[in-house]
Amino acid sequence: MEGLKKIVAKVLSIDEIEVNNSLTMGNAEQWDSFNHLLLISEIEKEIGIKFSIQEVEKIKSFKDLKEIVSSKSK
Amino acid sequence: MSIKIDETNKKLSISDYFNLYKKLTNSKNFGKNKKSIKIALLSSFTANGIKEVLSVKCNELGINCDFYVGSYNQYSQEILDKNSGLHKFKPDLTILFIDVMSIFGNNYFLPYGMDDKQRKIFVEEKLQEISSLVEKLKSNSKGKVLLHNFEVPLFSPLGILENKQKFGFIESIEALNSWLRDAFKDDKQVFVFDYNAFCSKIGKDNSIDYKMYYLGDMKLNFQYMPELCNEYIAYIKPLMSLAKKCIVLDLDNTLWGGIIGEDGLEGIKLGPTPEGRPFMEFQQYLLSLFNRGVILAINSKNNYDDVKEVFEKHPHMVLKENNFAAMQINWNDKIANLKALAEELNIGMDSFVFIDDDKANRQMVKEAFPEINVVEMPEDHSLYLKTLMEINDFNTLQITEEDKKRGHMYVQQRKRTEFQKSTTNLADFLKNLDMIVTVEKANKFNIPRISQLTQKTNQFNMTTKRYMEEDIKKLAEDKNFLVFSVKEEDKFGDNGITGAAIIKKGKDAWNIDAFLLSCRIIGRKVEETLLAYIAREAKKAGAKKITADFIATKKNPVAKGFYKNNGFNIVKKENEKEVWEYYLKEDYKFPNFIKFVEK
Repeated sequence: MEGLKKIVAKVLSIDEIEVNNSLTMGNAEQWDSFNHLLLISEIEKEIGIKFSIQEVEKIKSFKDLKEIVSSKSK
Repeated sequence: MSIKIDETNKKLSISDYFNLYKKLTNSKNFGKNKKSIKIALLSSFTANGIKEVLSVKCNELGINCDFYVGSYNQYSQEILDKNSGLHKFKPDLTILFIDVMSIFGNNYFLPYGMDDKQRKIFVEEKLQEISSLVEKLKSNSKGKVLLHNFEVPLFSPLGILENKQKFGFIESIEALNSWLRDAFKDDKQVFVFDYNAFCSKIGKDNSIDYKMYYLGDMKLNFQYMPELCNEYIAYIKPLMSLAKKCIVLDLDNTLWGGIIGEDGLEGIKLGPTPEGRPFMEFQQYLLSLFNRGVILAINSKNNYDDVKEVFEKHPHMVLKENNFAAMQINWNDKIANLKALAEELNIGMDSFVFIDDDKANRQMVKEAFPEINVVEMPEDHSLYLKTLMEINDFNTLQITEEDKKRGHMYVQQRKRTEFQKSTTNLADFLKNLDMIVTVEKANKFNIPRISQLTQKTNQFNMTTKRYMEEDIKKLAEDKNFLVFSVKEEDKFGDNGITGAAIIKKGKDAWNIDAFLLSCRIIGRKVEETLLAYIAREAKKAGAKKITADFIATKKNPVAKGFYKNNGFNIVKKENEKEVWEYYLKEDYKFPNFIKFVEK
């Protein structure tokens, strides 16, 4: 999950400390629809997993992201 | 001031480029590079990322990139509307990226909703639409146009029977690409970018990320924007005069496997064997670059006699001494040798590409001369050829006959210099050169070269006026102008067209508007021969005098005393501009050891 926080911080241009369970698309200014796609793409590239389009549409917060990423790593 | 990207360690992702772009635009040095380019991007889909990546890559090269992104899928409107943002922007380069799905519309998913005849008409119409758009673009913009061709799909509803059709779906897209290529083969302003080849390179399985397409209308996976922008850079470098002219090569473990001083002629690896072929093919590709006008030079720590033996006796040495314009083969350090090569070839350090298998040498050269392209040669010899092929520094926007012969001409120049060193005085040297100077009035064959010379010649150039081909063509057709090219040959070879002049014919006075010679041939009285020709023609036409301007620049001090030393008088001097005149009372003498030919 450390790697995941790093990627989120890089794409959204925020400090890693702000990447926590309260981070959502609603309250993060930089987490717009374009950066959302950028984030998904970077995670796929760095971590080597693939999201489905349904998952991409469902993810609305860092909490959602963590859940889906860890379910894929099993 | 450029932000250095160390690409040797990690390949940057698209997100890295977005962050670098943010850093760049917020930096206090943003926009302070010496060179600038205005690029417009018109696309049929969301091409996010191209602006950011290209701006960062341009900055790396020392170019400020001013970018205009056309409104979403409004490429036709932007081109057709004279008041559009595109036209107001006046780009140096317009990239027109229309994707195949957009242009085919519903027919992309239902290609067999049309029969073969309808399909042929459909693609012909598309060709017409695109050609008209490009022509309209050209009529309103002097900048270059980079037109994407179309990605040929991998799938067809007909499966294995697809290529049994008379004019099937796949064939229709291949035909469209082929017709686009034909339509712009002779066009100097428009370049067809082989996007289909690019997609093959990255793998058509990878080019579209379907999530990004459905969610964000991205027709190209934006992780490949850096690769795409690398392709665009191949066009930007020559547009910004950043093309390199010369490859400086090491010898041991670069042109052959092993060390000639230790392994001897039989021991080095060079030839049709598994260990020798990588080097042989590497040399073959270098030779093909030589044939297109790239200069080759050697910088090697070796005994010249050992190397000479390879040139003369090795059966698989593809490159011969005759292919090298200069050779520094000695035990001096490579930095000193590079300086000597630059001086000998009379080109700047920024014209060099440095190829050497030794990492330490490469690091040393990188630090001493950051303007040199030091190629990161792979450890694996089998990758030498590919690495060489991927160097995009030699692209030019046109190739003239002179370009193709450039490699040979530098070699001839080396031999001329060796000959000059062996003669005792300049007069004897010139007499024994057996020079022939040919002037030829501007015509469709020499106009491209004349234009090129006005743009590239900086040293012996009286007014440094730059002319595009269209400008030269207009002047050539004007009865009040005399425009001619100058060709010089001597006993060592033909230097090709290496000079040009543009004269405005007046009733009483003829004015020299442009007078320039390549630095390769100055100092041999060719300049005086041209003055004699101009004077002769002016006198024949009844003019009383010749007037000429000299505009001083940082690069043309060598031309400063020319008019004074040839009998002209100065009329006035304002800042950098001097006005000279010569009264045509007596005939101006032609130098007697030069054979003068008028074509």
